[in-house]
Amino acid sequence: MRHRIVAALLPNRAIDRTTALLLVAAWVLAALLCWVFSPFATLPTPAEVFAALSDLWWRRGLGPEVGTTLKLILHALVLTVAISLALSYATVIAACRPLVEAVCKLRFLGLTGLIFPFTLLTGGGYPLKVALLTFGMATFFTTAMAQVVMDIPQERFDHMRVLGASEARILWEVVVRGTLDRALDITRQNVAIGWSMITMVEGISRAEGGVGALILNQNKHFRLAEVYAILIVILLLGLLMDYGMGALERLLCPYAHLERVRR
Amino acid sequence: MSVSEMPSGQVLLRVDEVSLRLGGTLILDRVTFEVRDRIRQDQVTGQVVSLLGPSGVGKTRLLRILAGLDTPDAGRLTGPDNRPLPPGSVGFVFQHYPLLRHRTVLENLIIAGTCNGMTHDEARQRARQLLQRFQLDHRSSFYPAQLSGGQRQRVAIAQQLVRHKGLLLMDEPFSGLDPAALEDVMRLLIEVAHMHELNTIMVVTHDIRAALLVSDTVFMLGRDRHPDGTPIPGARIQGVYDLVARGLAWREDLEDQPAFLQLEREIKGRFRSL
Repeated sequence: MRHRIVAALLPNRAIDRTTALLLVAAWVLAALLCWVFSPFATLPTPAEVFAALSDLWWRRGLGPEVGTTLKLILHALVLTVAISLALSYATVIAACRPLVEAVCKLRFLGLTGLIFPFTLLTGGGYPLKVALLTFGMATFFTTAMAQVVMDIPQERFDHMRVLGASEARILWEVVVRGTLDRALDITRQNVAIGWSMITMVEGISRAEGGVGALILNQNKHFRLAEVYAILIVILLLGLLMDYGMGALERLLCPYAHLERVRR
Repeated sequence: MSVSEMPSGQVLLRVDEVSLRLGGTLILDRVTFEVRDRIRQDQVTGQVVSLLGPSGVGKTRLLRILAGLDTPDAGRLTGPDNRPLPPGSVGFVFQHYPLLRHRTVLENLIIAGTCNGMTHDEARQRARQLLQRFQLDHRSSFYPAQLSGGQRQRVAIAQQLVRHKGLLLMDEPFSGLDPAALEDVMRLLIEVAHMHELNTIMVVTHDIRAALLVSDTVFMLGRDRHPDGTPIPGARIQGVYDLVARGLAWREDLEDQPAFLQLEREIKGRFRSL
């Protein structure tokens, strides 16, 4: 036990799975204690939040709202992955690099000013929300993934050339298959970016619902217990998707975990 | 017939006046040499050729030109019958043994076959044979990250042998090996070389002793120097040692031979001046 505590407290030490779980539990407990004993009276207590959650779920249709949001996020995610991977892989073609770099730079733009042109392009409603979310995620995804492709060591291309592979085969093996684990990893991060944008995007057209619209409506009426209850739902859904993506990565790319050095 | 009287056969590789500049600096200056088939009565005799030279002199650059990865600014490379080296006839085992990290050992070998026009079944069969020969069949389903350094090296060599290549280039195959592993690698190189009469393994190394122990011919690549000792840009072949002619090849007791030790000293001495 003493060894575990020392390993957990000193830098660059490896810890076992049990210690890792214990550390997570300890931090969660610390966070809950901070919440329970918070000196701010305006913050809802855990009991109030869980009561609000129960009310939202059983009486005010939180379930269908979650479904609406999940559909929106997954739709945007599929488009983001398709567009961003195509752009990132295109960096192997010199002529495409300026275009990819331009897309990467667009990540500095906020979505607010883009609502008008996107409304003109999509006609508003659900397509507008998908387009905005896709734009927001794709700029970050392309930035990260294009860098992964550009960082592939020259030796990997040369190795395949010496084996006699065609350039198309090299593109498939080295660029597409060789970076699949990184692509999944970046997709995982982008799901989180998508969730962080959801309130803003769903706020554009609240009539269609979604947890983003719901949270904005509760916030407008200063129902803080409901707001925090929805935040907890968003957090849990995000974590669930994150875990799912992690499981998919382990299934499709078992080699990636073999290369990681655990500390 | 003594070994020095052994006939040498057709030219397998001719490097003719090859020059290379990088960023305006002359790296290789009219490098010229040739490798001929070694012939022994009733024996399949491939050969190992070493390219020795100080760090940064351009050895790896020369290998990359031979592999077709870089194009020289001048000069010509030809194979048997004075024809250009056919595409796919040169293998290259890189210094850090890159393998496809997302493919198993078996798949890495199969890909080497299918890239060269073999069907998937042919490549699989050949890959299985090679894994058995290299004592790696129990590692066929492993990913490269699960292999030791020595196993990785053997897989990288096997990968180049799935489709026969007359010339196999190896960049620093002896670096970072303990004595036992070094002996294993040397034995492996000789075994691979003698798999086919026209096989040539060209090794780039700093390890003079290991090079002398495995080689039939040693080429020294180096730069000339000004009288004040500063090197003149542009490396060229500064010496050729025919170890077969000197009776220092194809025997087990090389390290006990005074001629071997003398040659080792001589090459070490020349090394400092290149």
